[in-house]
Amino acid sequence: MTASSSTCQSTAFTNGYEFTQGTGYTLPEYPFVAPPELGSTTRVRHPIVIVGGGITGLTLACSLAHLGISAVLLDEDSTVGVKGASSRGICYTQKSLEIFHKLGIYERIAAKGIQWSVGRTFAGSDEVYSFDLRQQSDFNQSTQPPFINIQQFYIEGYLVERVTELGHVDLRWQSRVTAFEQSDAFATLTVETPQGSYQIEADHVIDASGSHTPFHDWVGATKQIKRGDDRWCIADVRFSTHPPVERHTWIEAPFNENRAVWQHLMADDVWRIDYQMAPNADPNYVSREDVVRERLKLQFGEDVKVDIVWVGPYAYRSQCLDALRSGRVFFMGDTAKIVSPFGARGGNTGVADADNLAWKLAAVLRGQASPALLNSYSEERLEAAQQNVQVTNRTARFLRAPEGMERVFRNAAISLAKQHLFARSLINTGRMAVANTYTRSGICHATGGQSVQNAGFAWGNGEAGTVNDLLTWAGGRLLVLAFGRLTPSALRRLRQMTANAPVRCVQVMGADVLARAKESIQDREGHVQTACHMFGHAWALVRPDGYLAATGEAIDASLVQAIEQSLALADATSKEAA
Amino acid sequence: MKTNPNLSDADGFYEQLMDAHTGLSPEQSELLNARLILLLANQIGDAKVLGECIEAARKVPA
Repeated sequence: MTASSSTCQSTAFTNGYEFTQGTGYTLPEYPFVAPPELGSTTRVRHPIVIVGGGITGLTLACSLAHLGISAVLLDEDSTVGVKGASSRGICYTQKSLEIFHKLGIYERIAAKGIQWSVGRTFAGSDEVYSFDLRQQSDFNQSTQPPFINIQQFYIEGYLVERVTELGHVDLRWQSRVTAFEQSDAFATLTVETPQGSYQIEADHVIDASGSHTPFHDWVGATKQIKRGDDRWCIADVRFSTHPPVERHTWIEAPFNENRAVWQHLMADDVWRIDYQMAPNADPNYVSREDVVRERLKLQFGEDVKVDIVWVGPYAYRSQCLDALRSGRVFFMGDTAKIVSPFGARGGNTGVADADNLAWKLAAVLRGQASPALLNSYSEERLEAAQQNVQVTNRTARFLRAPEGMERVFRNAAISLAKQHLFARSLINTGRMAVANTYTRSGICHATGGQSVQNAGFAWGNGEAGTVNDLLTWAGGRLLVLAFGRLTPSALRRLRQMTANAPVRCVQVMGADVLARAKESIQDREGHVQTACHMFGHAWALVRPDGYLAATGEAIDASLVQAIEQSLALADATSKEAA
Repeated sequence: MKTNPNLSDADGFYEQLMDAHTGLSPEQSELLNARLILLLANQIGDAKVLGECIEAARKVPA
């Protein structure tokens, strides 16, 4: 759900999106609807129960609904936005935006959110360096931008509306899970509601309930925890005359006792100013309105006029489970790992967790894949979680460099970065979340494991399409992209595979290749081919989550093997036993 | 990691390094050393060699 969380009781703070002044947000209220289980003696067993309606749980719900898979989602609250969470996400990176595009809410996010491209990093009164994302090429295959800034609750609200529109998933508000047990056959959850409690059974339980999850204790999950003493305080504000639409980062801000400050814009003309506080600062003091206003004056001048939208102090810990599956329970989002907020690796990772599990659950429930496929969720997303924990811990260490040698080296890096390009790479104010590559997944071939950007192309009739359109057309099945010329025998083999396996095939034509397959697309500029990390005549096997399973040189047995591996069909019996 | 002699002018380099620190406070010397390490690291570049150098530096014989 959120990237940060409180480390201990003394820093826990109650802040919803409540305004200390100004007009404020009015969050939607979702009604409690008594489910059929209440007051009934018959136990209902659901294939999938999702616990937690934050950005992760709702993305999973929406992904399942998009695939036509039924599920129940239980959320203890009656709205989006989390009571008591002092920091919430504001930055959604390309992979998340591509997922939201697939789910049909991207246009709303793009219309509401803010895009910036110039970032400046300062130390003291000097600019260390600046960059313009429009001049970077890493993200240019996709039809989505590198990122959009928008308040997390907007996305959650859009997801709720989209799930309601799509059907299949029963969203149950004001439903708190108070007990859990599982056997070899099924799991049982006790749910408390305003009208009493009831029990339901589930084949698969997804814990997306956030950093305070009770499931870790219920299943005896083990984890690695690292606590720090770094303290931050957010001020979300509206200015009468606002600063330039650029992201500004101070490693050492003169107006904040030489500690770090972040400043960036999100939707509704609201700016998030994030202040690093003294270690072990008193959260009640640093978030007091007069103290916040004093800080804003120091930064923006005596005359600045601001509406304070929201203030929240926070501290963070980093935490990572040792395994993301325990029996019938799957952990995702902040229940899988907790990271500091730098680089937006909290919420964005949760969204990717959800996208990873959704198609696997669908494939298993439809009988298209072995149940062992679900083990690959933990394999793949644990690697991503561990990487994100490592990356964010490194940033946190740079930003909270203690006096002594760590501070000496940071000073050295800052002073060098002002003079020399190379040293800018040492300035670590956060590394933006990426679509993590899977290097040790049992269901990815050595040639696969990378994310495929949502590249654009032209359909046979000339209309514009994207990789997401192909994934949606495949409807939860694997997608074979055959590049370039196809011999009649290759085409025949391709057709046989389509008939006998849960795959759909499409021929991707370059500038001047004739189509032989019935379904074909035109990739004149080679965006799809580049997005698939391949060159020349070959095939790419793309999963419903937009990850590459494998690539190959000829349409032969290697493709069949890759399909079986992607669905865990090859060694289903041995893995299931394990 | 190279451990065989590779410096084109060992005595000259050593003298230059000492001269650079002459007259500096311990804090200034620390900063100079840190800047120098980062500059030299970029000359090497290779992560494996850098890792070996760090390990070699940590292992001071008794």
